[in-house]
Amino acid sequence: MKRKTTSNSEITPAKSRRSFLKGLGATSVATPVALAGLNKAATAQNNDPVIIGCPVSLTGMIAADGIEVRNGLEMAAEELNEQGGILGRPIEVHFADTESKGDDMVIQATQRLIDRENASAIITSYNLETGAAMINAAADAGIIAMHAFTSTTHDDRVLADPDRYWGIFQYCPPERIYGEGLLDMIQTLEETGKFDRANDKIAIINGPGSFTGQIAAAVRDGAAEHGYTISLFETATPPVSDWGPVLAKLRADPPAVIAMTHYHVQDQAQFMNQFTTNPTDSLIYMLYGPSLGAFRDIAGENSVGCLYSSVIGVLQDEIGTSFAARYRERYGENSSPSVGAMAYQAMFAYATAAALAGGPGEPYDDTQNRLVAEKLKAINIRGPVGTMRFHHDTQSAVSYPGETDDPSLGMPHIFSQIQDAKEDGYVVSPWPYAVRDYETPSWIKGGE
Amino acid sequence: METLVQLTLTSLTTGSMYALAAVGLSLIWGALGMLNMGHGAFMTLGAYAAMTAINALGLPPFLGIFVSLIVGAAIGILAHLLVAKWVIVQDGAHTNIMVATAGLAILIEDSILKIYGGYPYPQPFSVTGSVSIGGVAVNLQSVFILLVALVLVGVVAFLLLKTKFGRAIRATAMNRDAARLMGVRTETVFLQVMALAGALAGVSGMLISTQATLSPMMGGAPMLKAFVICVVAGLGNVWGAGVMAIVLAFAEVVVGYSIGLHFGFPAMLLIVILVLIWRPEGLFGKERVVRL
Repeated sequence: MKRKTTSNSEITPAKSRRSFLKGLGATSVATPVALAGLNKAATAQNNDPVIIGCPVSLTGMIAADGIEVRNGLEMAAEELNEQGGILGRPIEVHFADTESKGDDMVIQATQRLIDRENASAIITSYNLETGAAMINAAADAGIIAMHAFTSTTHDDRVLADPDRYWGIFQYCPPERIYGEGLLDMIQTLEETGKFDRANDKIAIINGPGSFTGQIAAAVRDGAAEHGYTISLFETATPPVSDWGPVLAKLRADPPAVIAMTHYHVQDQAQFMNQFTTNPTDSLIYMLYGPSLGAFRDIAGENSVGCLYSSVIGVLQDEIGTSFAARYRERYGENSSPSVGAMAYQAMFAYATAAALAGGPGEPYDDTQNRLVAEKLKAINIRGPVGTMRFHHDTQSAVSYPGETDDPSLGMPHIFSQIQDAKEDGYVVSPWPYAVRDYETPSWIKGGE
Repeated sequence: METLVQLTLTSLTTGSMYALAAVGLSLIWGALGMLNMGHGAFMTLGAYAAMTAINALGLPPFLGIFVSLIVGAAIGILAHLLVAKWVIVQDGAHTNIMVATAGLAILIEDSILKIYGGYPYPQPFSVTGSVSIGGVAVNLQSVFILLVALVLVGVVAFLLLKTKFGRAIRATAMNRDAARLMGVRTETVFLQVMALAGALAGVSGMLISTQATLSPMMGGAPMLKAFVICVVAGLGNVWGAGVMAIVLAFAEVVVGYSIGLHFGFPAMLLIVILVLIWRPEGLFGKERVVRL
């Protein structure tokens, strides 16, 4: 269900994109400066490092993402330490490799970080777990845990048991925002004359698991409200090297929109390679994969025209591009700033909240850690992925424009389009973060 | 009509890739009586070797096939000399060899992960363009895969049926001791079979990677499907494995189209269960005695 939030802060509506972004630039600079100010004013009680634990997959199937998370946290820690860390105490990030394995490995890794490394907080992105392993270990130790599971289950858990999960924060919106946001974005394209639907059909190509299933369900359930019917609801299990059976169905009954929530980049790229040999007049949206350079590497020119989105991605504004440039300079051209930026900004949020609370708590020190949690709920952190601000009840990040009309109060759900196979996609929605207009793909009649 | 053409072409392309993988796996079972759990990793290695040779050494892309063939054969030989040769003579060799080759597979995959990382690289070799068949635009890459598979399976069939080398393999497969008494150097035959199966796996991996890109674990799914095909055909029956690869790929594609994509592989598994109940020796089981 869509919900909009309001803020108690008095924010003067920006008159233009330029003035709005200029204003945000000033705010964003203020965050680290404010933290530096707090650090300068503080008399460090000791020089003991603040340990941040990160259970993440550094080997195995999802290692590519895990390595970017490690990069983002290390970069954040270094930059924060240059400003005095947290109230004069340096930040150290300790990693535990979860090896792309399940709950058992994640529990062991988290517990080791808490009990042996004495982690004051856990910051990670995601692991191949059921969603309860890491947060339960952290909740039982009375520490803050910040993750990017992108899961409605997080919201349900926190709402059902706030006394236990007071310290668990999802620093991105839940996955259903993807589905709802896609339909809204298509409507905007139609209203502005940028997309003319060939018919009223949407074909959904879903992937395995609840994450992609929730997104596909959100598209399916919201389609009628936007005047669409679902012509195909297919579930694919990776790896899919040959999309022949699906393409045969699409060609027999061409839809106006193909929404692929199956998010394995190799499969998505191969879909484009095989689709473009005999395309239909369909707008193509894919989840996540096209944001990776690998998608363009594999699909080449066939990638041009694809739309994709992220509820937590690097913006192409002053802060985002500056971050991406620094990140790539440090970790190489093939690195993915989008993934690194999530953890980077989460670390800044935690450090600011801990400083405002008078310092981080130790494991099993509920009293101080609860203060940190309260500060996390109270602050807005502007960084490369936009504004990070939490719902007070679910402790998930507020999404813009799905949950707030004010772009300064929510994390933008950004839609991008690949317009050149040699470059990252350009943000085409939402205002004021769009840097290019949506272009009709070449495979649609009348396209570029 | 267009749909039928599309499904047939998809089945042939997929089936030909399965065939290359299944024939190699079946060959080893037939000759050595061992299930090589490292077969998928050999495919992965062949694919990465081709990519590296093309990208790093600047070889013309089409030579990637020969690189994958040579590297596949080399890893087959090494696997035999370092692992299979020592385990296969032990008591309980059937189980031990599965564990040993599974260990080898993990070692290869983890080494690839360490060297190349998890990045899904594209295979630089590709045949661009398309041709219209029955009103359906068919990727030339698919046609190429089909042709290469046909040529390689044909070469293997020729080697096995028409050469002294093949006769020695068949003799060893029928009765190892009798073959040895007749002067066949069974040790050499084992080595040759591992090299041949490795070469097939290497090329198979390279071809699969043009359709599915490279990743350290890319050999897992095709290896599983190759195993299913071998079981349905009758373990060790090379000819049957080639035929069943096409038949089962067709079944997978038709089920994927008519019921749903993710029901394709379960349908294959259901066929395996039915075959194992009805004919435990496999559909071509009668020929098992003469393991071709």
